[in-house]
Amino acid sequence: MKLSRRQALRGAFGLGATAAVATGAARAESTSATESEQPKASAPIGLLYDTTRCIGCKACVTACTSANGLAPDSGASEGLHQMPQDLNSRTKNIIKLYTSPDGSERSFVKRQCMHCAEPACASGCPFHALRKDPVSGVIGWDGELCIGCRYCEVVCPFEIPKFEWDRFNPKVVKCELCRHLLDAGAAEPACTAACPTDAVIFGRREELLHDAKGRIESSPGKYHQNRVYGEKEAGGTQVLYLSHVPFARIGLPVLEDMSLPEYANRYHRIIYQWMALPAAVYAVMAGVIRARWKKHDHEAMEIERAGGPMDQL
Amino acid sequence: MNAHTTGVARGERAPAPASQVRIRPAYDANASGPSVVNMWQRGVPVDEKLWTPSVIALLVVAAVGIVLAIYRLTGNLGSVSGMTDVYAWGVWKTFNVMTLTALGTGGLSIGAAAWIFGRKDFHVVMRTALVMSLMFYLTGLLALGIDVGRPWNFYHVLMPWKWNVHSSLLEVAVCMPLYATLFLALENLPMLGERLWYYGSNETRARLTALRRPFRGAYPFLIAGAYMLPAMHQSSLGALLLLAGPKVHPLWQTPALPLLYLMQAGICGFGFTIVTLMTSCLVWQRPLDLKVIGALGDWMSRLILVWLGVRFVDLYVRGEVGRVFTFDRYSTLFLIENAMVFVPAVILRSRKFARTPRIVFNMAVMTCIGGMAYRFIPTTVSYDPGHQFSYFPALPELLVMLGLIALAIVGFNLAAKLFAVLPAPFDSWVEAVEWLEVERHQAEAKSHGNAAHD
Repeated sequence: MKLSRRQALRGAFGLGATAAVATGAARAESTSATESEQPKASAPIGLLYDTTRCIGCKACVTACTSANGLAPDSGASEGLHQMPQDLNSRTKNIIKLYTSPDGSERSFVKRQCMHCAEPACASGCPFHALRKDPVSGVIGWDGELCIGCRYCEVVCPFEIPKFEWDRFNPKVVKCELCRHLLDAGAAEPACTAACPTDAVIFGRREELLHDAKGRIESSPGKYHQNRVYGEKEAGGTQVLYLSHVPFARIGLPVLEDMSLPEYANRYHRIIYQWMALPAAVYAVMAGVIRARWKKHDHEAMEIERAGGPMDQL
Repeated sequence: MNAHTTGVARGERAPAPASQVRIRPAYDANASGPSVVNMWQRGVPVDEKLWTPSVIALLVVAAVGIVLAIYRLTGNLGSVSGMTDVYAWGVWKTFNVMTLTALGTGGLSIGAAAWIFGRKDFHVVMRTALVMSLMFYLTGLLALGIDVGRPWNFYHVLMPWKWNVHSSLLEVAVCMPLYATLFLALENLPMLGERLWYYGSNETRARLTALRRPFRGAYPFLIAGAYMLPAMHQSSLGALLLLAGPKVHPLWQTPALPLLYLMQAGICGFGFTIVTLMTSCLVWQRPLDLKVIGALGDWMSRLILVWLGVRFVDLYVRGEVGRVFTFDRYSTLFLIENAMVFVPAVILRSRKFARTPRIVFNMAVMTCIGGMAYRFIPTTVSYDPGHQFSYFPALPELLVMLGLIALAIVGFNLAAKLFAVLPAPFDSWVEAVEWLEVERHQAEAKSHGNAAHD
């Protein structure tokens, strides 16, 4: 992987990035603004995160918060500094630390939206409030359409979308891969721009996957199962992971290759295709009922004519 | 004859005079069909004051729920509920909607049995099932309205070009309000029409008679829709859980969920119609028609056996039968849940037990609990996102849930008094109509008298 001027520069600022955790740097935006490469995505884009490179500096966490205009979650530190416990309605991106019970095994992990190739959230969303961009593949939220049903939270296998439970006008909060920055011409999202060690990098999914496989090839045995998490999980995700510890231990669920929408809609699509089957069932039912109804109606009218009681429907 | 001894709506009960004369109509109701002393023949309103102490007590429970619901709608969801990002759906959706509308499927169960499978003897309990369904669905819709975080965007449901047609939730969101406010409401309309006809002036009667023909012409097409829509959304409620995939325990997570959910709704429809009928007869001292009740129990029992068959074949096909007998938390729940419907199904196969009111009632209650358990468990208990979190509804959340249930009961109670809902023997209907005629004549005479004075 070639090292660009900016990345080399960022390496030199590695220590500075650690300091940024406390101050909440907006450095990400300024760095990416200097870049003049391709502004708009022309293919599915994503992230590649490598646990062996992450130093846990959390520069990406603060960069994410400031780039997205979120109020830092400092509850756990009694208001001293940003210290989210998990992804929440003020945290779209987080670095967590896994330690085995005996302390021999450790790993940082960055969690944010995986931007699934076939997202359960967007598939279940009744009014397309969560929609996958057809080109970039980024899953974004539209408050004009969202009814706040939270079905996205129920179905997401990665537990990503978060809801503003404490607000009258609640939003669904999730990583949108800084689409507002990319649209404004930035070269990459805030988190990758802030990362001092290239533990998380941004690019086209295809290239990231190639890169990840190259890393596995050049040092076999370094990564768990010598494979990339997200290549096939749940139909594939645009965010990819390389990990030196088992994926489940850093909170990445064991998932089948079939995507959830494919599983859920296998029969649904057949049953509701063009509404043909419901229409046919309706027609048959209406036919049967009408035949019975005619007989019933005839008898009821006979009774009424004979001075009997009115028919009760 | 004494007007106060008879059936309709208001008025105090007075002791019946010994010399009461009954006028039999020319039409003999018992001529065609089986003749039993207590045979239900027609819907007849309950003769009781509208605002009894129990109704007022239920209204208080409902009022607490409504006040809290308004508080939630002007505030946020977090402060009144136990819901979290991990358990994002609470009892309002999982109980009031996904569980209780199953009990409210009586309109579909009884209607389909009567009109599609030709069970004419079920016509007499249709109205009970329809009112019950309407109450569960309307309160379910209220629960949805309280539960969604951004209700002001719900108008998109009227704009098909904004729909995500592959979403099961969209199917529920479109279908359920459409069914409850249009099809189910129209099915309930004849009860209102009948009341207006009996109470109204000659002008009102003429108007109603004019409306009757087109309504009866459209009726078969209306009710076919009224069976199609709940079949669609009751199965879609099960389909909602498909997308949650591995979060739902494998004993419940299956591609057969929509079918099982729909069938369980059908079972609960029969079960809760029996419960409602028998409870009402007990409370208002109506005679029971055990032939009809027994037949409803028989349908319920058969449907349960088919349902259990589908469930176990599905487990076998998926190769998950082994999980049934691991006797861990989920396996135990699964076994209890199935036993709750299996035992009634078997007991009601006995002709003797199916004619014993106490047993039929208990078995119907047991089936409803088992059915509710099946509909509720996969949404919450066996829904495990793999965290150390758990969900238990907060007190205000529970009070809103109970308030909506109380509202449904009050609705049914008042409807049974105002309209000819609950089935009764022919005699009580004749008495009710006679009493009404006397009332009308008295009222007319009074108004004529007043006019003469002026």
